[in-house]
This record gives sequence, C-alpha cells and structure tokens, in this order.
Amino acid sequence: MHTDRTRKRAAAILAFLFLICLCSLLFLLPQKETGAYIADIYQNGNLLMSIPLEDVQESRIFTVEGPDGGMNQIEVRSGCIRILSADCPDKLCVKQGFIRDSRLPITCLPHRLVIQLRPAQDSSSELAEPDIITY
Amino acid sequence: MSAKKLTLLAMFATLSLAIYAAESAIPPLVPLPGIKLGLANVVTLLLLRHWSWRDAAIVLSARIALSSLLFGQALSLLYSLAGGFLSLLVMALVMKLLDKKLVFITGATGGLAHNMAQLLTALAVTSTPGVLAYLPFLILSGVLTGIFTGLCAEAAGRYLIGRLPR
Repeated sequence: MHTDRTRKRAAAILAFLFLICLCSLLFLLPQKETGAYIADIYQNGNLLMSIPLEDVQESRIFTVEGPDGGMNQIEVRSGCIRILSADCPDKLCVKQGFIRDSRLPITCLPHRLVIQLRPAQDSSSELAEPDIITY
Repeated sequence: MSAKKLTLLAMFATLSLAIYAAESAIPPLVPLPGIKLGLANVVTLLLLRHWSWRDAAIVLSARIALSSLLFGQALSLLYSLAGGFLSLLVMALVMKLLDKKLVFITGATGGLAHNMAQLLTALAVTSTPGVLAYLPFLILSGVLTGIFTGLCAEAAGRYLIGRLPR
C-alpha cells in the first residue's frame, strides 16, 4: 500500500509530533513551586499593577477598564486571583477561575488583558518583613 | 470554473460555515482561549485530499470571510486568517509529502500550525510575552484535535466525495 518513501516521511513527521507533545507534557507536570506570588496585571502589554497575593488579607474586588470600553472585574483573595466578571463575548477568562501558580496566566484576549503570577522574590519579601525589630 | 464546480465549492463553504457555527454554539470544554475541536477543518482536509489546494483555499477564504462577518468579535478575522492559512500551507505540504495517505497525520500538523499561528497573533496583539505560557497546551490540543479532524475527514471522504458529481 504505502511506498517505502512515504512510510519514512510519515514516521519522521509522527516522531516529530510525538516529541513535541512529550515535551509539552513534561512542561505541564506540576512543579513543586509553592510560596508567595505577585500578580502582574497587563493591558495591551503595559503593566497596570502588581499585587503581592500573600499580603491580601481579605477578598477585594476592583474593575479594570480598557481603552475601548471593555470591562473586567478582578477579585483578589489571599494567595489567588481571578476575573470575576467581564463584558467580553466568550468569558473564557471568567471560566478559568482562580489561579494560584505561575503555570498559566489568565488571558482575556478580546480586552487584551493578561494576569500573570510570578514568584515573589525572596529578597524583596525579606525587605518587607524584617526578621526581628528591636527598640 | 464550471457552474457545477462553483456550486459545489459554494456548498462546501456553506457546510464548513455551518460546522463552524454549530461548534461555536457548544460551550468550550477547556476554559482556555484557542482550544477547540476545529471541526470546520474537516472540509479543508477533504478538499485538499480529494480535490486541490486551490479549491481548499477558495472555500477557506469564503468561510473565514463569512464567519468573521456573522460571528466575528474584534480581531477575529486576524486570528482566523493567520490560523487558517498557515495550517492550509502546512497541510498542503504534508499531504504532498505523504502522497495523500494517512490524512490524520496531515490533520495533526494542520492543527498544530493553526494553534501556533494563533498564539503568535495573540502575542502580537497583546504584546505580553506571558501568553507563551499557553504554548504546551496549544501544542497538545492542536495535535490531538488535528488527529481527530483528520480521522473525520478520512471517514467523510469515503462516503461523500465519490457521490459528488464532478
């Protein structure tokens, strides 16, 4: 049925597909990266605000408005963040729910809004929280 | 182009638009942008396999124009064009390399190319490097959904194409 040449090409393409799928799977394995995160909220690629999620004491809701009228309501709680509601058509950002680690950002493509977590630097948290205070 | 051919191509464009519309009506299984079955690609694959890449390009252009007009959000034309035509290019190439056999492999490369093009478009639109975090998800979903649409196209080709007038 298949010629030898076709079979070799098929094998090469399949091997390539298998390899990149394997790499993707390895990349998606949960990383033991627990600790404090800082949420960076980008709009059109510009950093709007950074929220250290460990410092959030009680849940807070605020609204980010886009230049062309788009609206995203964002809720932060201690250690996690989500888009509570949005007036974009597909609401995928809302359905993604809370994120707690840096593996996957929340993206609202219609409003070009990205919320990304990055591990809080150890040095900065040391600066923020002194080990001991003496008088 | 004969009137018969034109009519058949128009029928295929309508078919792929209907599939696209039906798929948009299903709530997404995975709450991530860009992850869906892409069943409209079955029509592109069918035409590539049994007719020619020109026919596939004509039907794809018509489908993208109509779907952006009817269901489009801002910028969806850009995403559709990037994803649709890069995947068409890659699939035409792979189809040729494989002598039109093993359509599911062609489908997998097409799904992958489609998702990569859309990720690059999203990168350009949001200018946020963070969207690259979706890369592994989009690779996996592109290959898996591509295999599925490829198998659908193979099955559909067996029943449909032989019965069409040429």
